Amino acid sequence: MSNSKVNMDSIPEDMWEKIDNKEKESDLISRPSLTYFQDAWRRLRRNIMSMIGLVIIIILILTAIFGPFFSKYNFSDQSLKMASLPPRLELFKIDNENYIYLANGLKIYSSTSNGEIINLLNPIKQDFQKKIKVYKLNGKEIVLDFSDKPFKLLNENGNEYPFYKKVWNKNHLLGTDDLGRDLLIRIIYGARISLLIAFVATLVNFFIGVLYGGISGYAGGRVDNIMMRIVDIISTVPLMLYVILLMVVLKPGLKPIIIALGSVFWVRMARIVRGQILSLKEQEFVMAARTIGATNLRILVRHLLPNAMGPIIVSMTMMIPTAIFTEAFLSFIGLGVPAPLASWGTLCNNALGGYRSYPYQLFLPSLAICITMLAFNFLGDGLRDALDPKLRK
Amino acid sequence: MGRFLIRRFISMLITIILVITFTFVLMHAIPGGPFTAEKKLPVAVEEALNERYHLNDPYWKQYIDYVLDVARFDLGPSFQYEGQTVNKLIGDGFPTSAKLGILSVLLTLCIGIPFGIISALKQNKWPDYTVMFLATLGVTIPNFVIATTLIYVFAVKLSVFPTFGIKNWQSFILPVLALSGYSLSFISRLTRSSMLEVLGQDYIRTVRAKGIPEYKVIFKHALRNAILPVVTYVGPLIAAILTGSFVVERIFALPGMGRHFVQSITNRDYTTIMGITIFYSAFLIIMILLVDLVYGIVDPRIKLDK
Repeated sequence: MSNSKVNMDSIPEDMWEKIDNKEKESDLISRPSLTYFQDAWRRLRRNIMSMIGLVIIIILILTAIFGPFFSKYNFSDQSLKMASLPPRLELFKIDNENYIYLANGLKIYSSTSNGEIINLLNPIKQDFQKKIKVYKLNGKEIVLDFSDKPFKLLNENGNEYPFYKKVWNKNHLLGTDDLGRDLLIRIIYGARISLLIAFVATLVNFFIGVLYGGISGYAGGRVDNIMMRIVDIISTVPLMLYVILLMVVLKPGLKPIIIALGSVFWVRMARIVRGQILSLKEQEFVMAARTIGATNLRILVRHLLPNAMGPIIVSMTMMIPTAIFTEAFLSFIGLGVPAPLASWGTLCNNALGGYRSYPYQLFLPSLAICITMLAFNFLGDGLRDALDPKLRK
Repeated sequence: MGRFLIRRFISMLITIILVITFTFVLMHAIPGGPFTAEKKLPVAVEEALNERYHLNDPYWKQYIDYVLDVARFDLGPSFQYEGQTVNKLIGDGFPTSAKLGILSVLLTLCIGIPFGIISALKQNKWPDYTVMFLATLGVTIPNFVIATTLIYVFAVKLSVFPTFGIKNWQSFILPVLALSGYSLSFISRLTRSSMLEVLGQDYIRTVRAKGIPEYKVIFKHALRNAILPVVTYVGPLIAAILTGSFVVERIFALPGMGRHFVQSITNRDYTTIMGITIFYSAFLIIMILLVDLVYGIVDPRIKLDK
């Protein structure tokens, strides 16, 4: 012993060398300790589709919150002159400064060459017998001949004005609706309403479902039996019908939709929570909590529910697209938010009447619904895999 | 079997009575009577109307009368259309809706299940990717969007199918497609995942090792088990097609029950709303019972009496 000590001291300082960390830790076989959610996040990050979904959802939420601040229009600003202008305009050239756009319904707009609509032109002469309308722009006469399709734009000598090109609508990027309201800002506002309804309704469902399922699973025995029979009965009833009935009773509005959606779709959540609690409550940590005198409420809220969070989160993520869809469905059958508020469903519903002439008014909000549903579905699928403790590596 | 049937039948009756009660309470919770219109009726006229429809009776009497009427399959008169009964509205609309619904269920099962099987057998090859891509789209696109897109492409642009109403068999094609889009996609996804799970099990390997031909392995051994989750989905499938018919019938202007229902909502025709809700609920509850029975037959491991 003393011998080695002497030896160590006698080694000159500069012969000592630090080993690098790799060698030092080569014996350690443990992995870095991660909490359940860190681990889930690590796995979720590797799933490309869910990450795309997550990014889309974040962009959507940010746009819904901040988008309206960057728009010069308000969602309820009407301008009947500018009604139903599409996002793409086909311009005809009058001269170098003046271009016109011929809209559906025999309306002619003056425009700049890059697609900024200036004004709706008023005809100076109309002749419905010959089927012509005469306009004047910048001293030049424009004759619209609508006797035969395709309609012709002629100058005073009877020559056709040349087709210039297709340009984007610069005033209204996504066009306007039938009352001349900017469609882009209405879709962004629609995102606010639709997402708000979806999130709040899901939250309400979450609370009811967790409370109901938690109590049922934790109490067990007869209470559980009765509570689950009630759930069985509710689940055989077509719930969509009762959402519709509730909406009829409550009168359309933002709050009623949230109440109707929130009070009806909690059954699945209750079943999931009950199943989780039933298996968790037999575990040792519950007994440990009980021995140190924790109350039932505390055990349920602080010990059991956090451990059941994985499946609950997955089912919440899946509930959001369902809520968006249900809201759109309700709006579509005329039970949505009242005008001038607009959700995506009401936008689709309003556009239904004129979709043959103005398909973009229907397809743009529909596209918004589809993208959102896809994003939430991808995220939900990824979360289901990520939060499954069986897959933990 | 007998005891199971009786028990299920009793719980079905309880459910239907609860449905009637809930519907009744909701409809009577609406502020103002059904004749409170924007244009005020003369008091005497309103009184006479209330008297005629027994709206002056105490609630409990109205409720008992209504339950007894429903038990005799009489859903009462419509408040909006003079001389029209709810029974007649349902009778008019039901055949069209039923045709549409049956065709959609058939299409869903006859195409969804094979698609699911194909994509499970060709897992991670192009047929799988194609089917799953379409199925993901089908699950996420709302049916009214599918319906209007179909009309726009096939009826307006290509004009191969009629846009609305029922004239011949071609008029059914687009509505049925729109109506079954969601369920079709859902069933293919369900069949695929349950088929994959079954194909990975040991007994399939054993069957293959015995040299049984592949088609027998799939249809006789694998599919029998893989089909079970699909059977449980048939109940919700019918519910989805039923609610889907509200919008599809409206968009295609088909004279079905769904359209009557949406119209009665717009007109606030309370007795019709009540009647059709109860009819739909009872219909679905009976369908779910039937599906349960079929499940017992398909899966011999489940004993209905226990």
